[in-house]
Amino acid sequence: MNMANSHENKIQNLQGNHACALGAIAAGCRFFAGYPITPSSEIAERMALELPKVEGTFIQMEDEIASMGAVVGASIGGVKAMTATSGPGFSLKQENLGYAAATEVPCVIINVMRGGPSTGMPTRPAQGDIMQARWGTHGDHPIIVLTPCSVREIYELTIHAFNLSESLRVPVLVLIDEVIGHLIETIDLSLTGTQALAERRWASGPPKDFKPYAMTEDGIPPMPRPGDGYRTHTTGLHHSESGFPTQNPAEVERFIKRILGKLELHRERIENFETLECEDAECLVVAYGITARAAKRAVKQARAEGIKAGLFRPVTLWPFPEEAFRALAAGAASVLVPEMNTGQLILEIERHCPDATRVVPLNRFDGEPIAPVQILKKIKEQVSHD
Amino acid sequence: MKEFEIRFSGSGGQGLILVTRILATALVEKGMKIAQSQSYEPTSRGGLSRSDLVASMETVDYPLASSLDYLLILDEVAVEVSGEVIGEGCLVLADSDRVSSKPEGKYSLYTLPLVSTADKLGSRRVANLVALGALAGLGSFCDQDALEMATRFHAPKGFLDLNLDALRAGYELSIEAPRIA
Amino acid sequence: MIEESRQKFDIRNNLRTELFPHFMCPGCGHGIALRALLWAVHELEISKDQLAIVSGIGCSGRTGAYIDATTIHTTHGRPLAYATGLKLARPDLEVIVITGDGDCLAIGGNHLIHACRRNLNLTCLMLNNETYGMTGGQVSPTTRNERFTTTTPLGNYEPVFDACALASGAGASMVGREITMHVTALKDLIKEGISHQGFTFLEILSDCTEIYGRKNELGESAEMVLSQKAEYRSDSYGNQVEEPFQPRNIGTGVLTKNDRTEYMEACRLHNQSKQSGTANS
Repeated sequence: MNMANSHENKIQNLQGNHACALGAIAAGCRFFAGYPITPSSEIAERMALELPKVEGTFIQMEDEIASMGAVVGASIGGVKAMTATSGPGFSLKQENLGYAAATEVPCVIINVMRGGPSTGMPTRPAQGDIMQARWGTHGDHPIIVLTPCSVREIYELTIHAFNLSESLRVPVLVLIDEVIGHLIETIDLSLTGTQALAERRWASGPPKDFKPYAMTEDGIPPMPRPGDGYRTHTTGLHHSESGFPTQNPAEVERFIKRILGKLELHRERIENFETLECEDAECLVVAYGITARAAKRAVKQARAEGIKAGLFRPVTLWPFPEEAFRALAAGAASVLVPEMNTGQLILEIERHCPDATRVVPLNRFDGEPIAPVQILKKIKEQVSHD
Repeated sequence: MKEFEIRFSGSGGQGLILVTRILATALVEKGMKIAQSQSYEPTSRGGLSRSDLVASMETVDYPLASSLDYLLILDEVAVEVSGEVIGEGCLVLADSDRVSSKPEGKYSLYTLPLVSTADKLGSRRVANLVALGALAGLGSFCDQDALEMATRFHAPKGFLDLNLDALRAGYELSIEAPRIA
Repeated sequence: MIEESRQKFDIRNNLRTELFPHFMCPGCGHGIALRALLWAVHELEISKDQLAIVSGIGCSGRTGAYIDATTIHTTHGRPLAYATGLKLARPDLEVIVITGDGDCLAIGGNHLIHACRRNLNLTCLMLNNETYGMTGGQVSPTTRNERFTTTTPLGNYEPVFDACALASGAGASMVGREITMHVTALKDLIKEGISHQGFTFLEILSDCTEIYGRKNELGESAEMVLSQKAEYRSDSYGNQVEEPFQPRNIGTGVLTKNDRTEYMEACRLHNQSKQSGTANS
């Protein structure tokens, strides 16, 4: 028995937040700017340790706003960049997150959710930022939100987040709850991260005719790298294909339609979900993060007792994998939505359920995770109701 | 190896997270998979602290403790917190000097002078290792060799011998441990 | 040599003239500052492709778009944060920040003091026109006492910031101030700032004739520019400030300059010493 060996073999007892940092490094992230905040600080701490080894840059900025700004600045420079935070910091990042969405600058933001609103409960888990993740910054904007439910998935989804962000030129948010962020699980890193890395499509061709926000067929204009001769303008003002500000109604509408539309165009690539026993489920549970782990056990226990329960776990939270969900919800008498908030994703679920389907909330917002027995009990109530 | 759930509870600063990591490393070397979680107060010293391990051969569906098989209570402050999750037949080990009340539930209770044994070894800070040795001795969920190896891996430099002595002292204590209830 | 290049300088070579007419009001001092910057860039022979202009929000922020370079028009108060990320990611670029008194000292004040502290090799030009011009002329951290703005209808009673003293105090390794009246001196100051290794903060006294000037009956632009001469000394390198600070008899030119190690260099030296330290132990 040799302890050091298992580390070389990449079998590790790894904390979720550390897995996030290692995933980012594996994805090619070479710039991290952050600000200390519980319960996400371990991500910054690990990045501070890992980035110098790969000639990357770590910087602790003066505040959350600056760290988001620095990330966007570094990414404009052509480097894969990330920041990590939690609720109060996530609120502060919204301004420059909106800038990244409008200017289509790739970046990855990690939010390890804690109890809120306001300072809330820094060391206690919650899932209260579901709607903020989608609508946190002002105006209609594109964003992709991924939500892992295990340490291994944090690693994989962090890589995936970079791949989506770099190839689609959209900010990608990884929404982790405190439980998963601080959870330590045994993972074999040699079995993960084998996914190919997506790289940004760089501008090529003559600079003279280059339009940095051209209406390309796939909705994603190639990005100019500073120093390559393109000398373009980047602005958070609505801009025309040339990159310069415009208030021309037709140009503005085209711009908004394209940045939102590119997510529709690439929906198949973006949408990701897991199903368990959904085919004949009478009670369909929709859960994410640590709550999905509890739901998985509850569904298995229900099945063991002969109850037709199933689990739909959105891995991509936004855009919500609505088509797949609709198909499954159509067959269920009830849809149960356990969440560690007062009811957020359920609003989206209700939109996609037929009128005949009963949509039932199960909420906990006391700083404790929802236990499998709570979900099982609620499943049983639904089935006896029908 | 059988799937089991274990909790180390006490007050902040007692090194509960470190012994959980030591046990986790030992179990992984034995081919198991672990899920480790903890709850802590914003302060580093004092206050309730608990550290949980769910060990199994495959990654578990639910990684948090829901039905404990083993429970350490190293300080009175931690008595009440585990009531809901003590599984039937759980083996509970409490410090005989520092814990006076009992949690609710059906379980086997053992008490041992864990902290005072650490004091006799020269440092109260190794009460965590004494407790790990004793609980492992009572529960047989991990053999002593694996624990010693893992302790060598995790122990702070300069304190390895003291930590190993504490682990062994705890194991010795467990051999004669009287079952209380 | 300088004489020769000065003759060759044609501002249109460094401007995106296709965007003209520009947005600036007639008489606005920002155009003079822009000219001085491009003149300095020209004399330093910085290639357009290596030049990155990062600006914030407001009239100052909008001036960047006219420069034929990589231009990044960021969010309100944040250009220094963006510039920090860009410079660290791309040390090969010459990164120049254009900001204003509201952008830099109010909403961006935190970023300014920390940029000064870090001493990253950036050049920050703060165009101080003593008001929020773009939003209609509200009071700013540099609006003088008793001046009228749309949010000080009875005159301003708040004390002002001495931006240069602030930057010096926060550790900027080069700090300077110049008026748009002194175009050549301003150009030379910007040149010195860009050449300086470390964080350079330059306050450029600019005029908002159309809004601030009109509201306070300060006269036409020529009168406003000429009045700078009476209020700012060019003979002093000191920065003696009377309490409360008023921009009267205030020194121009280089006010602070030292050779404190630049941020990236400090990082490199530090890591080197740690590595050799480990090897020795």
